[in-house]
Amino acid sequence: MSPRGRRSLRALAAGVILAVAAWAPPARASGLRSPELRGSDLHSPDHPLGPLRFGGSVELRFGDDRINGVSNTNWFSFSRINGFATAPLGSWIQVAAQGSWDRTMDDFTLERAEAVARLAPTLRAHAGIFLAPLGRSNLAHDAPRDEFSEPSLVATGLVGVPNAELGAGVRGEARRTKAWPFTYEVDLVTGYDDGLIYDAPGGTRLPSGRNNYGDKNGVPAVAARVAFHPSPRTELGLAGQSGIYNETTIGGVTIDRSRWVHLIVADGATERSRFRVEGEAAVARIDVPPGLEALFAESQRGAALSVARTLLDPLLRSWKDVSLTGALRGDAVDFDTRIRGDSRTRLSASLNVRYRAFAVTRFGWYYEHRRDRFNNDTSVAGMTVSAASYF
Amino acid sequence: MAHPTEQEFDGAARCRSERPAWATAARTLAGSGRGAAIASIAICALATLPVGCSKLLPTQPAPGERFDQPLDGLSNGELGDFQLGQVQFRRAFTIREGLGPVFNSASCISCHSGDGRGSTENILVRFSRGTDLIPSEGGPQLQDKAIPGAEPERLPAGVDVSRRLPPPVAGIGLIEAITDSSILSHADPGDADADGISGRPNYVAAASYVPADEPGGGVGLKVGRFGRKAQVPALLQQVVEAYHQDMGITSSYHPIENTNPLATRVVPGLDQAADPEVEDNEVRVVTQYVRELAPPKPGDWTDRRRRGEAVFQTVRCAGCHVPTLHTGPHEIDALANRDVTLYSDLLLHDLGPDDADNRPDGDADGLEWRTTPLWGMRIQREFLDGRLLLLHDGRAHSVDEAVREHGGEAAAVRAAYLALSADDRAALLDFVESR
Repeated sequence: MSPRGRRSLRALAAGVILAVAAWAPPARASGLRSPELRGSDLHSPDHPLGPLRFGGSVELRFGDDRINGVSNTNWFSFSRINGFATAPLGSWIQVAAQGSWDRTMDDFTLERAEAVARLAPTLRAHAGIFLAPLGRSNLAHDAPRDEFSEPSLVATGLVGVPNAELGAGVRGEARRTKAWPFTYEVDLVTGYDDGLIYDAPGGTRLPSGRNNYGDKNGVPAVAARVAFHPSPRTELGLAGQSGIYNETTIGGVTIDRSRWVHLIVADGATERSRFRVEGEAAVARIDVPPGLEALFAESQRGAALSVARTLLDPLLRSWKDVSLTGALRGDAVDFDTRIRGDSRTRLSASLNVRYRAFAVTRFGWYYEHRRDRFNNDTSVAGMTVSAASYF
Repeated sequence: MAHPTEQEFDGAARCRSERPAWATAARTLAGSGRGAAIASIAICALATLPVGCSKLLPTQPAPGERFDQPLDGLSNGELGDFQLGQVQFRRAFTIREGLGPVFNSASCISCHSGDGRGSTENILVRFSRGTDLIPSEGGPQLQDKAIPGAEPERLPAGVDVSRRLPPPVAGIGLIEAITDSSILSHADPGDADADGISGRPNYVAAASYVPADEPGGGVGLKVGRFGRKAQVPALLQQVVEAYHQDMGITSSYHPIENTNPLATRVVPGLDQAADPEVEDNEVRVVTQYVRELAPPKPGDWTDRRRRGEAVFQTVRCAGCHVPTLHTGPHEIDALANRDVTLYSDLLLHDLGPDDADNRPDGDADGLEWRTTPLWGMRIQREFLDGRLLLLHDGRAHSVDEAVREHGGEAAAVRAAYLALSADDRAALLDFVESR
């Protein structure tokens, strides 16, 4: 696609998103929960627990992980640690802070440092550092809620969950009809930075350019998500982010033109009969500087699909709040769609003993094929026991 | 401290608020007592899962089935060095860490697939004007990639060009340990025995940074043994040059960045990493790692392969592809005083004009190539996505094609090969492909 075509497409997409947001009339609040409404429940200062609320979650992981049959000696780890604090500054505004450390991403992320203002019963404005609306997994990734100890490859390999950015925007809920309510979020954010090339070892990696708290190129990226709820137990989401990632000058000398990265994420979740199904797919397009195209990918994609079923609820008659869940997930990510290699595919299974929504103990297994740019396969698999809980 | 509510954390539509009919059924089942039994069985099964499901985990490849396995007989300390070196060998440098400004690949492993041979996608292009390596024009190697703001190199006009696949690195320590006398015992530069096969060493000087106590190091001419034309005498030098030329990574051995001298402009500060970009220790552990890599094991003997081996001798393939050379004393016991079955004399041979790159390298002329070891042939396809890429530039996709490309000193051998019966030729090819 030509640069002019890309600009037109971006303008069209932004126009559609803004038009949809403007067209949807404000609606009454409902019991429907959606990631766009995270953190927006403004509790009153006279809450029994006081105006300041804090907490977090932690996950411990024991595993026998093997790479080509060789056991990793790191059999124990804190997989994820998360802490948050919120405080209302008044009846219509709240500040929130949240940070996490994630074993898979091997870094600390300041997920939230934002102010949220209630403009209408179902419309919030927010500004600061917040999780970009890039799919369900980025908006809702608390360890105790997950069915697997490992986040999906799409989440960690493409989107870079958790992915927090500096910016401002609005989010809310709207109903055109009772059958098709939807939630939305539209933000201007810093977007990915040049780390997706400069800090990426051996090929393009968007997560290396995430958690961008300061826009070095001065041009904000647009991030948005719209989620439809065709039934109370189903959500279909479509998200995207588009922006310039690179700096074009060094010391006042122009070294390159502006280069764009586009990411589209589609996600869905539904409960039907005895199963809960969740899926997420992502496509990325990266404008790679000349001289690097042979090594750095211009196109990436990935998908994950999981099926979970509650096997016993309660697990024992005397354990009324404890259930047993089985879950299976297949996920894959292709880091360079031009070549056969540079990809990962994984199958995961987990049996989870869950204490309401607050804690879970998982007995998991995964088997992954990692292919390098020569398409050589490295088999990575493990048996894991993990425990996660809010505190 | 408060327990967070569902709304506070993500508000996601987890859809757990209403209990569906199946859950009610499950509750009824649990209440009946059968549920308790099922749960007990499930929990017992979970507890024994890690023990009972070892088949769900990958197993180690058998010894000799890969290019990245250590030599037998390494001490624990040497194995520790091996593991440290393997990490560095696989380390992909980022631009922020110093990759470039001009370069070919981001890591050692991205040229040597699985520690084996490279592919045509990452072939190296070396160029010169005769014996002049023309660094003022970007020689001796073309760096076709560049970080933003830098310009990748382009081939100057009128230069001698040689396209070379990265060779396997497995077994390279054994090649280093082979004695000069073992190599020179097969040299016949004047073809004194009149068999049409000469063979001579490439005498080259080691780089000044290679200390005298390093194999191949010190002043004076040495028997070259690494590289397509045996143009490098020391393993340390091969590794240092790979860091500098292939990845644009400086070390104290090569502290000055490799840049494109023909770039139309120079932007200061492009390479943001301080020089040297790797510690000497990293270069040393990578050198030690490749030194301790074992060559893959040959395939099992069969009657046909024994027959093929006899044909290999009869048609005089073994005149250059000498089956066995010998190592001398070495500080690593696993490399010392042993036979090395590599199928190469490590000498230069004229392979004729069709295979020539017409580019001299050290003492080697444009028609000469070092005899390529045949070990590891058996598993090459496995690490090149099913492809077999033979000869210096990968032009041959089968052993048969490679033999047919041989000329010069090997012309008589090729003629003998072509005159073989179909069965003998198949046996010979089976033997070679099983090495």
